[in-house]
Amino acid sequence: MVIGLAHYLIVAAILLVLGIFGIFLNRKNVIVILMSIELILLSVNLNLVAFSAWLNDLAGQVFAMFVLTVAAAEAAIGLAIVVIYFRNRGSIEVEGISTLRG
Amino acid sequence: MIAAAAFYLFAAILIASAVMVVTARNPVHSVLFLILAFFNAAALFLIAGAEFLAMILVIVYVGAVAVLFLFVVMMLDIDFARLREGFQRYAPIGAIVGGILFLELVLVLGAWTFADQAEALRIAPTPPSPVTNTEALGLLLYTDYIYLFQAAGLILLVAMIGAIVLTLRGRPAMRRQNIAVQIARSGSVAAEKVPVGAGIRELGIRRPPPPEETRRLAEPAHGEADHGERH
Amino acid sequence: MTQPLLADYFPILVFLAIAGGIALAMVGGSLLLARQKPDPEKLSAYECGFEPFDDTRRRFDVRFYLVAILFIIFDLEVAFLFPWAVALGDIGWFGFWSMMAFLGVLTIGFIYEWRKGALDWE
Repeated sequence: MVIGLAHYLIVAAILLVLGIFGIFLNRKNVIVILMSIELILLSVNLNLVAFSAWLNDLAGQVFAMFVLTVAAAEAAIGLAIVVIYFRNRGSIEVEGISTLRG
Repeated sequence: MIAAAAFYLFAAILIASAVMVVTARNPVHSVLFLILAFFNAAALFLIAGAEFLAMILVIVYVGAVAVLFLFVVMMLDIDFARLREGFQRYAPIGAIVGGILFLELVLVLGAWTFADQAEALRIAPTPPSPVTNTEALGLLLYTDYIYLFQAAGLILLVAMIGAIVLTLRGRPAMRRQNIAVQIARSGSVAAEKVPVGAGIRELGIRRPPPPEETRRLAEPAHGEADHGERH
Repeated sequence: MTQPLLADYFPILVFLAIAGGIALAMVGGSLLLARQKPDPEKLSAYECGFEPFDDTRRRFDVRFYLVAILFIIFDLEVAFLFPWAVALGDIGWFGFWSMMAFLGVLTIGFIYEWRKGALDWE
């Protein structure tokens, strides 16, 4: 039994769906939403790496590296915003954040 | 054979821990399961041959990003029970959207094959055996992908400055140690021999303030971290 | 697929299996073999014989968080340095200056945070 590309794609698809499901499920808790976004980006990386391995093309891994960079920066800034919002409001409910506009 | 068994094991743990990330009652547990998920994803990367990315995933994600999440969860004392309101309400719609998406992905996967010219369309073919994965990446990253690489540097710069602007509060009351002044200080303040019996005030030496006054002076510096975050 | 690479990592898999097996055997063994009669007093946190004063969850200062963010940024910078160091012999001066520009950009950020006092600790 050999592991093929399809195995990786299925795992990545499940991970992506779980990330999106997590955003719906925890739509009040910004921290868990950020974690779900990390899961989604992880599934993207899994896809990139799988295609890179099966096509023998390193470009996929280079892009996965950049995705990792962007994801880490996104987590850092997102959490900084959560911290600053919590300091001003005393809660991290997503519904309250929508009042920030204007 | 062993690789296949390892793949199924790591993939199963990865998906199980991803489920726990989104459904765990306590966000601290969510973060810990996220760490487990990243570990197993690193193992899957390794099985696919992406050695360097697997190690980076462990170093950067497990070592830094997950710790950051843990920091934030521990730093904010949030009423997590209240944040779980609507958990039941949103579960069905989330399941519907997720299910449709998954079906679509499976349909795409079922109907999809590699293009005939896929081999010819490769941008950066993997170099043959003696070149390791890390070295092959190094050969590409800094020359062929230099614009993306510099853009990554700019993104990191923006993240750094953004984090400082957002979270660094000016503390005017903060006393800093100015080492240069301290070292360059002349003997203007020094031990002085006081004649026995003479009043200190008459000699122009200030007494330390009485204890209650010191406490009042010291309070804002210590209490600020607490008071500042409450309101 | 990349079988030689995986052969290199096989000892780690063995190590993981042994570590997991031992941990599972210890926890499972004590769960199965030990006599268990739990009662509320036994299960509560033991704090030198008196009631716990406080919740253990304490908020800590934002400054720890800022240090953690700066750590992530420089961690990624170092992650980019590894392949560069391995491949430097082949990518020549162009690769060298490419990395120097990258480091220069991040040094700007470093100077900024130094001047803003983000690294100071009272």
